[in-house]
Order: sequence, then structure tokens, then C-alpha cells
Amino acid sequence: MRELRVVGIGQIAVGHAPEQIACLGLGSCVAVILYDPLSKIGGLVHVLLPKAPNPCTIEEKYADTGTKKLLNELIARGAKKEKIVAKLVGGAQMFPNLNLSIADIGKHNCWEARRTLRQLGIHVVAHDTEGNRGRSAYLDTETGRVRVDTAFAPTKVI
Amino acid sequence: MTDEHEGKVLGIIKEFASIGAGNAATALSSLLDMELMNEVTSCSILPMSKVPEWLGGPNQIVAGTYTYLCGDLRCGVLVVLPSESAIMLLEHLTKEKVSLGSINRIQLSALKEVGNICLCWYLIAVSRMIDVDMIPAPPDATVDMLGAVLDIPLASLGAKVDTVIAVHTSFKALDGNFEGYFLLLPEESTLKLILDKMGDTGK
Repeated sequence: MRELRVVGIGQIAVGHAPEQIACLGLGSCVAVILYDPLSKIGGLVHVLLPKAPNPCTIEEKYADTGTKKLLNELIARGAKKEKIVAKLVGGAQMFPNLNLSIADIGKHNCWEARRTLRQLGIHVVAHDTEGNRGRSAYLDTETGRVRVDTAFAPTKVI
Repeated sequence: MTDEHEGKVLGIIKEFASIGAGNAATALSSLLDMELMNEVTSCSILPMSKVPEWLGGPNQIVAGTYTYLCGDLRCGVLVVLPSESAIMLLEHLTKEKVSLGSINRIQLSALKEVGNICLCWYLIAVSRMIDVDMIPAPPDATVDMLGAVLDIPLASLGAKVDTVIAVHTSFKALDGNFEGYFLLLPEESTLKLILDKMGDTGK
């Protein structure tokens, strides 16, 4: 069994093959996963909210600043920007009957992550987002495949 | 916050939560017709990313009922049951076999209602104690991974919050077959209010 690095809310991790990097129990949070298949460098950021306030202390907590920071870290580790592709996991609506605007935050997290990726010119090649189930995402930096576990449902690979 | 001050703050919050949880456990006891005991309240100031681990890991399946207080006191409140306890509770209430993977509307509604009762009794006790009106949003419930259940409660603390105060009080049936916990996630302004009010009572 290869070592597994678990990334908590507002944290980032970048690694290369054969490392495994995971986000466990994503609800409305989104895991933005970037991967360069050529250098086999991949990373993910576990974001809680769409937009960073100004000033913000933890850039990794927000979809806009977190995605940018992750891309920079991948490039700093030697990944080529033109090879990098993105996958998105999470952004569920866990409490659909709550009368709070925050109940929809998962969807906004996904939108903001996609918007930022488009700005950066990174293509989203796969996603498993929204709905109302929690997910755990495991990135295999050997292949770039992401295994998505859901409570009470079969595992997916994207 | 200095260590001494931090210790005092945690002490006051612990007392606050213990009184709420005591009242909620009494209500739950009569609903379930079993003796429930509260265990020690633990309270911790920790980075947001560590909250799921502090509660036993993000991957475990739990039943969580969540509400948010929107009055003067702004605070997230959760009732969390491990999966075995959630099954026991639902089978007791609905008199039918329950599988958490295919939970039906009535079962989910029962879960929500039990959470609602606990939360309201919790609030009645604490709102009397500090003489502040507490207005809860209608609760919602879900059965999923703990990490997923906690996302919305953590997100609602606000964009600027990186460190949270988490207050945890567990309850347990005397025969040990049923357990769960209450989790309080107060906003900083709320914390100040609680401290002011409880400081006034000669603490």
C-alpha cells in the first residue's frame, strides 16, 4: 500500500508518482485536482468557499485563490502548464432543506473553480460534482486517475 | 489569547454547553424511553482543517442534524449520531427495519425531528441561562461522511474564520447501546456575548 497524503479543508498538496493524495469527506467543499501526465506531477486543493476575502490569511481555503496557488505550486515543482489538466470533485448540497443561502455554497464553489480554471486556460477533463452526497477523492499520481468514493454507492473512477 | 485567559474562556464555554446538553439529553431520554447520560464536555480551539479529525475522522458515516442560530447569538449547532446509533433510534421510532443506505423520507424526517427536539431543548436551557433570545433556523438532517456533514457548518462561520472553537458533549445510554454528541460552533461575536453574560453571573 502506497503512502496516502490526506488534505484537510484549506490545505494544498502536490506530489509526483507514485504518491497518492486524497481529500476525505467532501460535502459542499470542492477538491480541485490538477495533473500533468507527462511529468506525473499532480496536486489538489481542498476549498471551502468560492471567493477569498481581502485580505485573506489562508489562500487555499477559497476556490479562486486556492486554484491559482495550486497551479503555481505544480509549475514550481516542474509541471508544464500546457500539459496540466483539471478534475473537480465535490460541491454537493448536503442540507437542501436549510433556509440559509449558504446551503447552496457547493454549487458556487464549483462555478468559481471552473471560472478560475478557464481564466488560467486549464481544461476540466472530468468531474463528479454537485448532487447531495458526500465524496472522498483519491488522486493516483502514477496515472492521473481519481477514485471517488461515496457513502452507500459504488466507487467511481474519473 | 494568553494561556490563562484561554483556559478561562474554555471553562465558561464548557459550562454553557454542559447545561444545554444536559437538558437536551433529558428530552431525548423521554423520547426514547431510556436513560441517557451526558459525558464530559470537551472544548477545543483548533484550525478548521483539524475539526473532522478531532471528532474521529472525516470518513466515518454519521447521521447529522444541523441548525444555525440567527438572532443575537450566531452559532452552528449539530446533533451527530454514529451509524449504529442512528439505526437503533430510527428502528425504535418507526418500528421498521432501517438501512442507512436507502433511508426513506419518513426516516429522514424522524431524524430531523429528533435533532430538532434536542436542539430546541439545548437552546431553551442556554437561552434562559444567559437571558438572550435564540432563533434557530429549521434544521436539516443527512446521513453521510462526517467530513461532508461538517462542510456547511464550517462554511457558515464566515469567510474570514480560520480557527474555530468547537464544543463537544457526548451522551450515552446506560447500557452503552446508544450514543452520540452535540457540537457547538460559535461565531466569535457570540463567544464574546456568552462570556460577557456568564461573567456577569459572578463567575
